[in-house]
Amino acid sequence: MSMSIDDQRYPVLMATLRRADPAPPEPDRTPAPWEANLQATCECLSWRGTLDTLERRHAEDTLGATTYADFPAHARAAVVTAHALLEQGEISERELETKMNDVRARFQQA
Amino acid sequence: MSRFEIGDRVTVREATTLFHHRTQAYTRGRTGVVVEHRPEWLIPEHEAWQLEDGRVEPFYVVRFHQRDLWPDYTGLELDTLETEVAEGWLDPAGEVTQ
Amino acid sequence: MSHDHDHAHHAPIEAADEVSEFDVLETAIRELAIEKGLFSREDHRRFTEWAERIGPHGGARMVARAWLDPEFKRRLLADGTETSKEVGINWLDPTGTGTPSDNTYFYVLENTPAVHNVIVCTLCSCYPRPVLGQAPEWYKTPHYRRRVVRWPREVLAEFGLHVPLDVEVRVHDSNQKSRFMVLPMRPEGTEGWTEDQLAAIVTRDTMIGVALPRAGWTGDRSPAATPRA
Repeated sequence: MSMSIDDQRYPVLMATLRRADPAPPEPDRTPAPWEANLQATCECLSWRGTLDTLERRHAEDTLGATTYADFPAHARAAVVTAHALLEQGEISERELETKMNDVRARFQQA
Repeated sequence: MSRFEIGDRVTVREATTLFHHRTQAYTRGRTGVVVEHRPEWLIPEHEAWQLEDGRVEPFYVVRFHQRDLWPDYTGLELDTLETEVAEGWLDPAGEVTQ
Repeated sequence: MSHDHDHAHHAPIEAADEVSEFDVLETAIRELAIEKGLFSREDHRRFTEWAERIGPHGGARMVARAWLDPEFKRRLLADGTETSKEVGINWLDPTGTGTPSDNTYFYVLENTPAVHNVIVCTLCSCYPRPVLGQAPEWYKTPHYRRRVVRWPREVLAEFGLHVPLDVEVRVHDSNQKSRFMVLPMRPEGTEGWTEDQLAAIVTRDTMIGVALPRAGWTGDRSPAATPRA
């Protein structure tokens, strides 16, 4: 499927980076559990035909140097995957914002 | 039937393409040597567009001298790089298609 | 799916907020995708379970066996895809799901006194996961991918590996459906060792080609230079 990931900024995604000065990536930082979950999500999205892995990797490189340059490297797969799904119209900004509010509230209760 | 034999010198085409491709920019226009044949696969361009009837195309392992890939290569003369190239991206060295 | 929220170490408040926001985002993406039928919960669980199972054990076992058994080594170099089955790895169905990113061919690259091999995927960080497990973070960065093809000796030196001047450094850019693993040379001081003992010193980094195995060393080193994103 054809998809262009253009250089648009989505407020809901830009807001996930709260720090003004992100820490430099550590050479051997241990990935957080959510990163493994995200990798599996990316595999599933590619496997089931929504978002091809090669396209997503290209987008991580290009958007990671522009829109998400201030984001830690390990977070880029997350924001770029969300960006692509928004761009493709698979999810809407409102849906994502609502869902994140819901998830955040659940996590805070845990 | 494969067009190239092991030992043939080949040049990677400069062709621009809108398709998803796996022919790296740094190999375009560069000349190397075929060192292996690969099994015939659907070419990645057709895989990306999900055409079930995509052509089946021979692939080759091409070995380049690093000094031929990078004008200012800082390593040694004997250093090399190998990568896989689809037949459609290759010309015999000296017979370049524009 | 169950989710562990035990952020055990107490990082600064800002760092914890940052981490949890990406955590929130990941969960939101996954739940929305499942709700919209982009994939199933079962699909996701199969991948996370597979990711937890894999590691460099298969690769290390094949290297150790190749050091001890010339016939196995011959088979491994002639047909890596088929020979991997001897250590329980099926390249054409590694996850049991036949996913596009792993349905590939496998080639083992033999280091010799004349040639040192190192692997990379400049396009997207493809990696031989069925035999090596998950790729290390540094392998996926543009900092590694762009530099190792162009300045391989410098990048290897950052890992503490200085390749002699009479040894060819051969970089393999896995841009198609092939996946690669390096078969390093057996180090000195390992005479009489069993396959298990040898496998223990074959680390992930030695099979990528950024390190050499040594008797007595079983860890993976981090690069001397901090990789930039």
